Amino acid sequence: MSSMEALLKDESTRNVRRLLKVLILITIAGAAVSSRLFSVIRFESIIHEFDPWFNFRASKYLVKNGFYNFWDWFDDRTWHPLGRVTGGTLYPGLMVTSGAIYHILRMLSMPVDIRNICVLLAPAFSGLTALATYLFTKEMKDESAGLLAAAFIGIAPGYISRSVAGSYDNEAIAIFLLMFTFYLWIKALKDGSAFWGALCALFYFYMVAAWGGYVFITNMIPLHAFVLVLMGRYSPRLYVAYTSWFALGTLGSMQVPFVGFLPIRSSEHMAALGVFGLLQLVGFVEFVRYQVPSRQFKTLLKALIFIVFALSSAILVLLTVSGVIAPWSGRFYSLWDTGYAKIHIPIIASVSEHQPTAWPAFFFDLEMLIWLFPAGIYMCFSTLQDQHVFVIIYGIMASYFAGVMVRLMLTLTPVVCVSAAIALSNILDVYLSIKTPTTPTVGASSADDRKEKKPRVNILSAGKDSIVGIYSKASNIAVIAAFSIYLFVFVLHCTWVTSNAYSSPSVVLASRLPDGSQHIIDDYREAYYWLRKNTPDDAKIMSWWDYGYQIGGMADRTTLVDNNTWNNTHIATVGKAMSSREEVAYPILRQHDVDYVLVIFGGLLGYSGDDINKFLWMIRIAEGVWPDEVKERDFFTPRGEYRVDDAATDTMKNSLMYKMSYYNYQSLFPAGQAQDRVRNAKLPAVGPTLSILDEAFTSENWIVRIYKVKDLDNLGRDHVSAAAFGAGKKKSKKTKAGKGAQRKLRVV
Amino acid sequence: MRLQPQLDMASRKAFLLFFVSLFVSWVSAAPLTGGRILAVIEERSDNAKYSQFLMDLRGRGYDVKLESAKKDTLALLEHGEKAWDHVILFPPKSKGYGPALTPQKLLDFTKLGGNILVLTSPSSIPEQIRELARELDIGLPPKDYTVVDHFNYDTVSKSEKHDVILATRPAVSSAVHNCFSGTQDDLIAFRGAGHTLGNGPLLVPILTAPRTAYAYDSKEDFAYAQDPWAAGTQMQLVSAMQARNNARITLVGSVDMFSNEFFNMKVQRPGSTESRKTANKEFCKDIAAWTFGEKGIVKVNAIRHYLSNEPNAPVNPNMYRIKNDVTFEIELSEYNIDRWAPFKVSSGDSLQLEFTMLDPYYRVPLLPASTSSNYTTYTTSFKIPDQHGVFAFRVNYKRPYLTYIDEKYSVTVRHFAHDEYTRSWDISGAWVWIAGIAVTITGWIGFCALWLWSAPVAAKAGLKKTE
Amino acid sequence: MPSKKNLSTPSTSTSTTTTTSSSASATAAATATPTNPFTILGGIFKNYSRSTPQRTKLIDAFLGFLVITGVLQFAYCVVAGNYPFNAFLAGFSATVGQFVLTASLRIQSNPANKSEFASVSPERAFADFVFCSIILHLFCTNFIN
Repeated sequence: MSSMEALLKDESTRNVRRLLKVLILITIAGAAVSSRLFSVIRFESIIHEFDPWFNFRASKYLVKNGFYNFWDWFDDRTWHPLGRVTGGTLYPGLMVTSGAIYHILRMLSMPVDIRNICVLLAPAFSGLTALATYLFTKEMKDESAGLLAAAFIGIAPGYISRSVAGSYDNEAIAIFLLMFTFYLWIKALKDGSAFWGALCALFYFYMVAAWGGYVFITNMIPLHAFVLVLMGRYSPRLYVAYTSWFALGTLGSMQVPFVGFLPIRSSEHMAALGVFGLLQLVGFVEFVRYQVPSRQFKTLLKALIFIVFALSSAILVLLTVSGVIAPWSGRFYSLWDTGYAKIHIPIIASVSEHQPTAWPAFFFDLEMLIWLFPAGIYMCFSTLQDQHVFVIIYGIMASYFAGVMVRLMLTLTPVVCVSAAIALSNILDVYLSIKTPTTPTVGASSADDRKEKKPRVNILSAGKDSIVGIYSKASNIAVIAAFSIYLFVFVLHCTWVTSNAYSSPSVVLASRLPDGSQHIIDDYREAYYWLRKNTPDDAKIMSWWDYGYQIGGMADRTTLVDNNTWNNTHIATVGKAMSSREEVAYPILRQHDVDYVLVIFGGLLGYSGDDINKFLWMIRIAEGVWPDEVKERDFFTPRGEYRVDDAATDTMKNSLMYKMSYYNYQSLFPAGQAQDRVRNAKLPAVGPTLSILDEAFTSENWIVRIYKVKDLDNLGRDHVSAAAFGAGKKKSKKTKAGKGAQRKLRVV
Repeated sequence: MRLQPQLDMASRKAFLLFFVSLFVSWVSAAPLTGGRILAVIEERSDNAKYSQFLMDLRGRGYDVKLESAKKDTLALLEHGEKAWDHVILFPPKSKGYGPALTPQKLLDFTKLGGNILVLTSPSSIPEQIRELARELDIGLPPKDYTVVDHFNYDTVSKSEKHDVILATRPAVSSAVHNCFSGTQDDLIAFRGAGHTLGNGPLLVPILTAPRTAYAYDSKEDFAYAQDPWAAGTQMQLVSAMQARNNARITLVGSVDMFSNEFFNMKVQRPGSTESRKTANKEFCKDIAAWTFGEKGIVKVNAIRHYLSNEPNAPVNPNMYRIKNDVTFEIELSEYNIDRWAPFKVSSGDSLQLEFTMLDPYYRVPLLPASTSSNYTTYTTSFKIPDQHGVFAFRVNYKRPYLTYIDEKYSVTVRHFAHDEYTRSWDISGAWVWIAGIAVTITGWIGFCALWLWSAPVAAKAGLKKTE
Repeated sequence: MPSKKNLSTPSTSTSTTTTTSSSASATAAATATPTNPFTILGGIFKNYSRSTPQRTKLIDAFLGFLVITGVLQFAYCVVAGNYPFNAFLAGFSATVGQFVLTASLRIQSNPANKSEFASVSPERAFADFVFCSIILHLFCTNFIN
């Protein structure tokens, strides 16, 4: 520290430091961006997964039709025939951002395809996230910690998992906004400036417009304020920062159509309102104390706070019970009780990213940061200023949430990076500085070295430990060497994880051939392209909701349900159609104007994420709505096994999903040898028959199978007998010629 | 026959063109649905028996070709297209029709819109026809089962069996647009087999047996029927199946009905004193005309829907908004032997429009608004419900003897756009709060002005304090 | 009576707990010193009018004005219902928001708090205040449609 003081006095070294700082930040941003380009290199410039396809489609709509049409967008190509008020039910921040970038680039006469903007948006924002993290951490400790944190967040797999090129999802920009809003909040709190508070509110507004996770901010900031008040750290700065943030931020968040009146209606937002009221009270009491100085006031104040808090939470409970304020949403409940969703809302539980996190995932996503994290929290405790309280709270809350839900690992990652950076920077401070700041030159070199070291680690070059060797103490060398190795391994780990685990677009699958070369399995796009080229423009495709966005985005066809699971009944209807017998399913298909049915089948390739494996969720969701018609129990063998082979129950074998998956599958194998490679089951010798559907398309590896729904029979027969007649089978003589035969008489 | 609804305008236009060309070709004397008739008749010598009927067809512009079922080159379809427009099947002398006329082929022919008139006689119902009838859900009696009626038989013909029965045309009904109801006191002579109908909605009876008729095995030489196969109005003499694509298959139990003999016969009811000429000629003409699509063809000329309140609103837009007032119009024509006439809904019936999304939200009657020389315009207006989604205007008019009308027009009903809600200043209740904002803002401006104006004083005060 | 205004001001902003809390604090103030509450109030008033800079007084006047506006709106809402809801929210929150912003300005420009706000000069505070207020007004007018 003292060397820093010395440095500050020197104008030229300060300039050098500034330049270095900028350079380092740029390098970090470069590293962050380039490590996210693995997916483009490995595969191609393509939108990934599921939700990004919708965002991409929405962005195209925005660019094509302008903002106001986008705002009023009624999408009649999803959720047929209900349609979706898309403009009012999405977080527009992401699309508006890329739309704005698109127009700015055009204005600069650099026409860039909107798809490339969408693909590269996430990496670009990860660079900005690194900057925001730097600023945030700088407020916590100092610039060197900030640089470390920026480097960490730049390559931490926990964040990369959601922000590789092509992962065009809300989180792509939301993490940047999250960190920047927090930074502005800390700044506002430190300075007590309404200006920073207002900026914080504006970025909060942006965040609200961008991601449903804004609720995290909505609760973090009040919690921080509340804890500060409880710790007796109330200050006018807190009042100014909080009230200006709250007043503007809440009003701002209500401007987003999807959020609307939620900030004063739903329980999730009540904490912010409550703390706002509390601060008014505290501020008032402080004011009165200022007017009437009295020692008793402090105790009175505390009593008052307690009473008001109890009172307002009582009112909150009362209002919630009486229904004025919307009760907590299901997703929120599942945060507290991990078993809740499983029992009550199968549709939430069925999403894999809502599952609790497995322990190895923490290490996988954060590597060495995970053990530096508690150390950083400890450091925060040791210098407990207002902003450190924030990091501590953030750390605790985020750890809990990340443990509950896989996808919330994302919110944990920044704070882990920040606190790990604080810890590591403390260690380096101790071990890298020389004991006495004798000459400024040595100090300068040490400081320079400190600055230089990190970027080298970040940009994958080998650590330059030789300079460390100048210092005398062996322990210094040992520790520094150890940490250099740690950092180096961390970088290796991050690179490996990024390139292997998080760069797959999941639309395109990769497999290794026996000789080690990569083999691309492109069945999804093959099938979607087939749909696009071979079906009428207004064809309605029924599939399980997972593929709704992709069909909408890639095949440009109308879907019944998609990943925006807003209507449980509609999804259950699809589930029912899939899990019922053909005769039951057919009226449902007709009623919903379904032209094609699409299923994913992995049996040939051993692709485990197929529809038969998701089938239980369909059944469960359908059972939730029609408990009398669909029963999960009927799909299990008497011994409680879920099987697809000979031992499968009749309900299972007659379900539309089973039939569609295995239709004609036996023809690939010698008689009686049909094998399902996902479930390792030998299939029945005789395959299922389909009478209401015609096989229309099956992709190369049988992953996607598309069936066309038959029209009603021309002569009003049912499909089974019509098919039998067509095949030349003679009808059993129902009307037995002869005497005394019973005939069904026509009802006149 | 090709009157299925077309959804998009382009093909609709092409369709009109098609109709125009059809119309032109009709002027040159071909019937609406094409004039090529294949009459499958085994022996040329039989021609003479049905010459009047066949002549009548030829006179109406049909090109009737007589072929034997045994002929090798006989084919209903050629290169996947119909080789004929209509088929008349006379009962064969031998056991069956041969490989060109299997039920599958007949149904394929129907699938392409071809009409079939099946004539049978009790002694000759080939297996192909039985199989076809089973698919149509028509019950045919065993061989040699004949319909008799001891109350409605012809006393002139010498038969002691009472097997030439005299049926009357179906009664005129206000609810049904029946093409066969002609002159009510006509007598139709019938000698042949009856049949029963299943409950399929596509089946329509054309000529029902009298209440006192029954069918029995004429070969068993009892003086009375021990165990009648079917009796009364449950038994049909002539009935038809109109397939979903409006192709028609008519089954007649008596080939004699169509013979010259019956056309010219004079008949007398038991108990009646005068003998009258049969109406077989007119009735058989009706049957052929209906089966071959000269009658009971209803066509949708045009469909229009638009906003009611706006004079310049575009016609047939793809999108409406909730709570719009819309008007729906449909123009209907009916083909009658040789020309298109305005279609008139029977007085006891009504044409309805459904506005539907999954289930109908509205079902409103369409009322005739205007009539031109060859179509009637039916119209209705209503307010779109407060529910967004993909709705369909649907006219589902399926009546016996008429071609099916099932028009479905999808439109998207969207929600209010952000600038279509009532503005706050239009709601008196909001004025208070608008005033609140206004007061706050003016107060703020005043405050800022005062603040700036009071600046030097404050500065001085601050100075004083610091001093 | 400016002092009375001051006493009632912040309590109205926390709308739900209005009466209870303010009366509680009033009684608290009364019990804190055993003398006659009126004399205390008088003392406060005297103290206030003597030691408060003019600008602060101006702020206080504006605060009082906002409180009256807010109370009126809230009263109207209770009496006449809150239809249309967005207009009510916009109107009421404009007043409340303006109030807290002004209160912030008061705190920031209070010389006694100078140590707390090292980086915020009164001029800066006023600029911040104008900035925030304009954003607030924009949001509100947009929200009321």
